[in-house]
Parts: sequence; C-alpha cells; structure tokens
Amino acid sequence: MAETLVLPPKPRSWPRIAMVVAALAAMTVLTTIPALGGVELDFGAIARNWSNGAERIGMLFTPDWSILPRTWQPMLETLSMAVVGTGIAAAASIPLSLWAARPTNPNGVTRRAVRFVLNVVRAVPDLVYATILVAMVGVGTLPGVITLVLFDIGIVVKLVSEAIDSADSAYMEAGHAAGGTQPQINKVAALPQSWPVMASQVLYSLELNVRISAILGLVGAGGIGRLIDEVRGFYRYDALSTIILEILIVVLLIEVLSNYLRKRLR
Amino acid sequence: MTALAPRTERQLPIPVRPRRIAVRLAWGVAAVIFIGSFWGLDLDWAKLWGLPSDAARYLGLMFSDPDWSKLPEALFQTWRSVSMAWVGALVGVVFSTLLGIPAAEGAGPMWVRLPLRWFFAVIRAIPEVIIAIIILTVTGLTPFTGALALAIGGIGTHAKWTYETIEAAPTGTAEAVTAAGGNLLQVVRWGLWPSAAPELMSLSLYRFEINVRTSAILGLIGVGGIGDMLTGYTQYRDWSTVGMLIIVVIVVTMAIDAVSGRIRRRIMEGAKVRDLDRIV
Repeated sequence: MAETLVLPPKPRSWPRIAMVVAALAAMTVLTTIPALGGVELDFGAIARNWSNGAERIGMLFTPDWSILPRTWQPMLETLSMAVVGTGIAAAASIPLSLWAARPTNPNGVTRRAVRFVLNVVRAVPDLVYATILVAMVGVGTLPGVITLVLFDIGIVVKLVSEAIDSADSAYMEAGHAAGGTQPQINKVAALPQSWPVMASQVLYSLELNVRISAILGLVGAGGIGRLIDEVRGFYRYDALSTIILEILIVVLLIEVLSNYLRKRLR
Repeated sequence: MTALAPRTERQLPIPVRPRRIAVRLAWGVAAVIFIGSFWGLDLDWAKLWGLPSDAARYLGLMFSDPDWSKLPEALFQTWRSVSMAWVGALVGVVFSTLLGIPAAEGAGPMWVRLPLRWFFAVIRAIPEVIIAIIILTVTGLTPFTGALALAIGGIGTHAKWTYETIEAAPTGTAEAVTAAGGNLLQVVRWGLWPSAAPELMSLSLYRFEINVRTSAILGLIGVGGIGDMLTGYTQYRDWSTVGMLIIVVIVVTMAIDAVSGRIRRRIMEGAKVRDLDRIV
C-alpha cells in the first residue's frame, strides 16, 4: 500500500489580508477627495503645464556656473550653522539622555516628564520652528541655529536614551552593588558606556543638519537657502541647478566623513 | 593553637590610563571647528541674551489664550497635509520597492545595483522642499505637487532601507528557490519577500510618519496644508491663532505617531497571545 502524505491545510489568511487591503484602500480614497481636503490627483495639469515647465526643468541640465562665487559665503554659513547647532545640541543631550532613560533615572515622574516634553519638541517640524523664530527674533542665523538645536535634541536624546534603555546594564548593577549613588553610577558606568552611541547619533544629526540648514534660508533663517529663494523667485533654474549640485556634493562629503568616523567609533 | 600569620599587605599598582592621543586630537579638532564656526556666524549677542525673556513673552502670546475660532479651517488643512503625506508615502513606497529590490545584493547584477544606489544617494541629499520647487513648474502650486515631492524624496531613503532589509534577510530560502530552478521573480516572491515583508511594511508606515512632518514643511512654499496656514498667520503676527495651529500640529503628529507605532509593533512582533490557556 502506497503511503500518501496529506498536505497540511493552508492557513486561512485571506480575511486578514482583505481587512488590511480594505483599510489601505479606504485611507487612500479619503486622502484623494479634494472636498475633504484630500489631494486632487490632477494629471491633466501636468499635461497642460508640460511644455512650459519642462523647459524650465531642462534649464537644470545647463548649470550656470557664474553664480558659484556668490555661493561660498552662504554655504560656509550653512555649514557653520550645522556645526554650531550640533555642538550645542550634543552638550545639552548628555544630561537629557540620562534623564530620559530608565536605568540612569529610576524616578518615573521626572523621566516621563522629560520624555513628554521631548516628544512635543519632536512633533513640531523643523521649518515651522524656523518660521516662528524668524518672526520672533528677526531674520538671520540665530533662528536657524536655535531650530537646529531643538531638532537635534529631539532625535539625539530619543535615540541615545533608547540605547541606554536596551543596553546591557551589568556595569550599572555592579555600581549599585558597590553602593554607588545614581549620579556616581551614571558618571562611571552609564556615560562611558553610551559614548559611542551618542557620538554616532551626533554625527548622524550633523548630516541631517547640513541638509536642513540648506533650506532654512527659505524662511529667512540664514544659509544657502536664502540664495535658493532668490534664484527661484526669478525662475533662474540654471543657477538653482548649480546650488543644488553644490549642496549635493557637500552633503555627500559630510555623509562619507561621518560614515568613516562612525566606523572608527565601533 | 597557632597564631594566624599577619596578613601581608600587597599593593597592586593601578594600571596606567591608556593614552589615547588620537582621541584627544579628534576632540581638539572638533573644538576648533566648533569655535571657528561659532565666531564665523557672527551671532547677535544682544538678541541672544534677550532670548529667554523674548521666548517667554511669545510663548505667553501663543499659548495663554489660543484662538480656537479657526479650528475647523485648521483641521481641514491638517487633513490636506496628512493626505499629501499618505499619497506621497504610498507612491514613494511602491517605486522604492520596485527600485530597491534590484538594488539589493543577490537580487540584481552589479551594473544595476551601483547606478541605482547612486541615484538613491543623490535623492537623499536633496531636501524635499527643493524637489517641490523643481517640480512645481510642471505640476503647479497644488497639494499634488507636495505629494509628488514627498514620493520622490521618499525614494532616496525608503529604497535604501528596502535593499538593506532584503540584504539582512536570511538567504536560505532564496537559495532554495534558486536551487529548485526559480527565476529572479520567483526568488523575490518566494525567497525574499516573506522574510522581508514585515520589516518593509513597518518601514513604510514609518515613512508615512516622517511625511506627516515634512508635509507641514512643504506648506511653507505654498503647496497648501497646515504649513501654508501657519506661515500666513505667522506673517500676520496673529500669535493666538499661531498657538492654536501649533497645538493642532503637535496633537495630530503625536496621535499619528502613536497609532502608527502601535500598528508597527503589531506587524513586527505579531499578535499578543491572549487566550493561551485555550490553546494549551
């Protein structure tokens, strides 16, 4: 008698898949109804504007290098803003990260308070800070730097405190066992342990800062964005192309440098 | 009874601290760059000292008595921003997945992978706002432009995550499919997709969360949404309305993060086992 193997029944997954697909479809429909505030998928406009717009976009492929000398100073300003913002945020992140992590701050009330404030800070987009700060303190690099500091603290503290939370706490336990107070343990165990993570996140935020500070000028917060705003007003897309290429090169260089440094940290 | 021999004190020399000249040097270089940048910025010190009191004053203006009369308009514009974020994420994820899979090691040949990866790196380096500025000559100042800018900008990061996820996935099943004679499509569908899908879905939702923030920024160049409204009222210096708008942005962003975060955890960790006793 031949042995027969019975195939196990396929798990019934289609109701769940159907539910997920339905949810996705519903969300997509709701977000594409203009009457509700959704996005009108207007492909007709693209067809109508094509000849006019394509010509301007075509200008991107013939960069106007004559604007290059004018870009050095704003570009330097952009980089300076990124460095200063990162530096200040890094210094502020050290105590805040220790505050926001469970092993280094057993006090639930202050820990939740710090985390909540940081969640709120993170929920406001960077350029929104810049817009409001420009209205408060006036046009210049100061609102830009403050924006970057707020943005960086938000992400660095979140990532570092999560790293401390999930890190191996053997050293800190040893500190407790030896009778150390929480500040002592934080200083000799938690901090040295989290340096590499912190340095890596700070470098990452520097990368992001260069990208962000390139556009802060669009709302008047200093840097190369100011120049972008100027050339876009005149539809000088050939000049815009030069500036974008410059930003591209700087951002990629910073990324390469930061990747190299982060590899060394490990 | 023999007396115990006196204990000899043995002193262990404390090991010498390692001298890490390279680290000190790096710190020095970083400090010089920081200080140099700081002076180069030429910050207005008078404004800097006045900042704390200014900030307190403006925070008072914004949040002591937020003007709720324009809340319906704000919610309408918020939905517009969220819509841009959703449509942008959807389109971006579809294209990132299509482009990201051949860019993964083991899925596409070298001459496909390298150009694709360069392409992603270039897009990553260009901020979404600039993408929007470029494409708005063709698409106009509409929310659709915002969604398209988010979609294009999203390809840079999301496609990178896609190929990294696929490369990190265990290769056993893919090899098995290849051994059984599967072609590239079959390898992707039966070997790579099942192990990479949860992570990819989670990342897609994360992309939506990021887009919610970015879409508010895109409003600043006039494509519509909450950012547009915020810029307008900031320029009028109508601080009580600005305060209300910021509260709306914060609440909506945090709510979306919370919901999306829960869904992502559910995708990555699976369902909570509730009725364990019934199974056992």
